[in-house]
Amino acid sequence: MIRKKVIVKNPEGIHARPASALVKLASSFNSDFYIYSHGYKINGKSILGVLTLAAECGAELELECSGEDEKIALQRIVELFERNFTDTTDK
Amino acid sequence: MPFDAHTPVRKKEKITVQYLIDHLQDSIKLEVTVCAGGSACFKRDITEADLHRPGLALTGYTDLFTWQRLQILGNSECQYLSSLSSEDQKTAFKRLTTFEIPAIFLTHGNDLHNELLKIAEQANIPVISTPVETIKFMYLVRDFLEDQFALQTIVHGAMVDVYGIGLLIAGKAGIGKSEIALDLVERGHRLVADDVITLTKKSNVLMAAATEMNRHFMEVRGLGIIDIMSMFGIRAIRYQKRLEVLVDLFLWDEHTEVDRTGLEKLTTGIMDVQIPTVKLPITPGKNITVIAEVIAMNHLLNHYGYDSAKAFQERLKTRIAQKSRKGDTSPRRIIDYFEGDFE
Repeated sequence: MIRKKVIVKNPEGIHARPASALVKLASSFNSDFYIYSHGYKINGKSILGVLTLAAECGAELELECSGEDEKIALQRIVELFERNFTDTTDK
Repeated sequence: MPFDAHTPVRKKEKITVQYLIDHLQDSIKLEVTVCAGGSACFKRDITEADLHRPGLALTGYTDLFTWQRLQILGNSECQYLSSLSSEDQKTAFKRLTTFEIPAIFLTHGNDLHNELLKIAEQANIPVISTPVETIKFMYLVRDFLEDQFALQTIVHGAMVDVYGIGLLIAGKAGIGKSEIALDLVERGHRLVADDVITLTKKSNVLMAAATEMNRHFMEVRGLGIIDIMSMFGIRAIRYQKRLEVLVDLFLWDEHTEVDRTGLEKLTTGIMDVQIPTVKLPITPGKNITVIAEVIAMNHLLNHYGYDSAKAFQERLKTRIAQKSRKGDTSPRRIIDYFEGDFE
């Protein structure tokens, strides 16, 4: 089980599209993925879960991955946060 | 165990005295009047659900004085004060006001001398009076504060009220929790929340509710997000429901042992509350919705004092005893002789 803190940087926060991108990416890994916010633990593979966070720009979230592919999963998810949830194919 | 260990979070860390007054007036319909320190009501915070009657502190013993709590002055405290000379009253009352008390409530229509109210005003401590009897008032305020400071956690699953029993359907992502909840709603049961469920602990009961964001929305894979209230109407939803049975879904394989008699009673501890649990293996062709209804009805039967598994066991014991007594060992039909096609 590994954890990392991230900060939401895109101005609109995690609205429907970023949430969808996040859940899609997280679901492509076998590892369980959770997001901690304000002490609560949210399942990061559930779209309603991620939307419930209603994370605004500047919100600090702690990500947790656990499973056999946790390292690569966490790395990819952090990358997604860093590039403000844009698709890699857009580049 | 369907959920990992949860670290519960307090619903609120603090509320202002004004917030309490507003709710006492509007939600609980109590008559309360601010006698002193009206402006301090917005500044003073309440951080504890417990209340305190500062009898000993008034008489001078303040060593273990729990000043952080709301202080209640009922008949005995007020009569004690009025038995003193006016100078002694001030000295006694000042013993309280040197502490940063959140607020003082005067119950049962008691009032304080103007001199004392002035002392409270100077110390910026709100004094609030109510005609409600002390014990009744304390019960109502404590109940409200316990709810405000209750422990909360969020779990992943689908919460449905099935025949009045709160079922929490849990299991791994993609196992079909939302689909079962949707099916139950279609059969006339009421959805509490899907995917993100807040559990609030209050006097050893867990109340499940949606969050303000996900209330009565549901995600169906391939369809996206749907609104259950708009689609099925008001009868298909409810705000909150006590969590009564946990249904833990898992994919069945030959190595997992499942209880075949129902005599073993499983429970799961969530925030130290033991919740009856059913571990339900999923196999192709199994109608989980109907089984969920049966789980709810079985829980109701148990609640009304009938345990099917135990009743069967009793019958079995009687039969075995009968066999050894009479030597009648072959299996018997339910009725020995049917008179034609009658019941």
